[in-house]
Amino acid sequence: MAARKPVFNQQVLYDTTPLPDSIPKVKEVGASSAPLLSAAFFIGARCRDYNDDFMQCKTENPGKGEFECLKEGRRVTRCARSVIEDINKSCLEQFRAHWQCLDNNNHQLWQCRPAEWKLNKCVYENLNLEKVVPDQPKNSTPVHLRKKQIYAHYPILRGNEPFVPEKSASS
Amino acid sequence: MPQDMPPVGGYEAVQYKRNLPARGFRPATLLLGVGAVMTYGWYKLIIGIREQNEYAREKMWSRIHLIPLLQAEEDRDLVRRHIADQAREKELLGENIKVYHSDRYVRPTFAATPENVTK
Repeated sequence: MAARKPVFNQQVLYDTTPLPDSIPKVKEVGASSAPLLSAAFFIGARCRDYNDDFMQCKTENPGKGEFECLKEGRRVTRCARSVIEDINKSCLEQFRAHWQCLDNNNHQLWQCRPAEWKLNKCVYENLNLEKVVPDQPKNSTPVHLRKKQIYAHYPILRGNEPFVPEKSASS
Repeated sequence: MPQDMPPVGGYEAVQYKRNLPARGFRPATLLLGVGAVMTYGWYKLIIGIREQNEYAREKMWSRIHLIPLLQAEEDRDLVRRHIADQAREKELLGENIKVYHSDRYVRPTFAATPENVTK
């Protein structure tokens, strides 16, 4: 084995042939993991139906979902793109602060609560999207609203209040 | 000959017990103390585990919201490669050979490396 020369053929494995014109084009999301994680719950809030459609299509077409579900997939991508574009338009500063915090903290959401609350507030006021973590136990504060966290590296300083949208009057 | 008899009033008591002071707390106190420490520890542990469960749930849901998006992008890429592969095969061999005995899409394990870098 030692005599074998290393062969790096990644560059020839690129297949840059575009999709045929019969399949409509869609612009990819083009965000990396930290912004996606930061925006995940807002994507989930707005695109739930498209996501569910896509996953249902994939479940109903085992073995050929890749081809059958292109339409649903384009919708999912378009919807997620719209969320990220809207956040960029109205809450760029808070969004950046949050995802850079995530990047610096090993993508642990609980290390970045103050930044997250600011982002949640801005997004709720501008886009009317709310972060909800489903299926939590009823008798405790939802995780993303806790001011005391055992495992956080930094204490939450005074002046940082969790953001809870006021709509208790309507519901 | 007179027989040896025990002394009048009997023998002295033989000291077979060691006369050591019993040090430390009473066993009941110790048991209670250990119990208290354990209860406190378990209490904190359970709180910590529950908090970690919630972190995990939050992380899972964030991923659940992202999966369709990531999967859609991946699928589009796979379809693009598949169509390009089929076209290349058709061009080189003149026909598309059915490789697997099934209609399912099989994600390619091997990729044919073209002689010239496809641009």
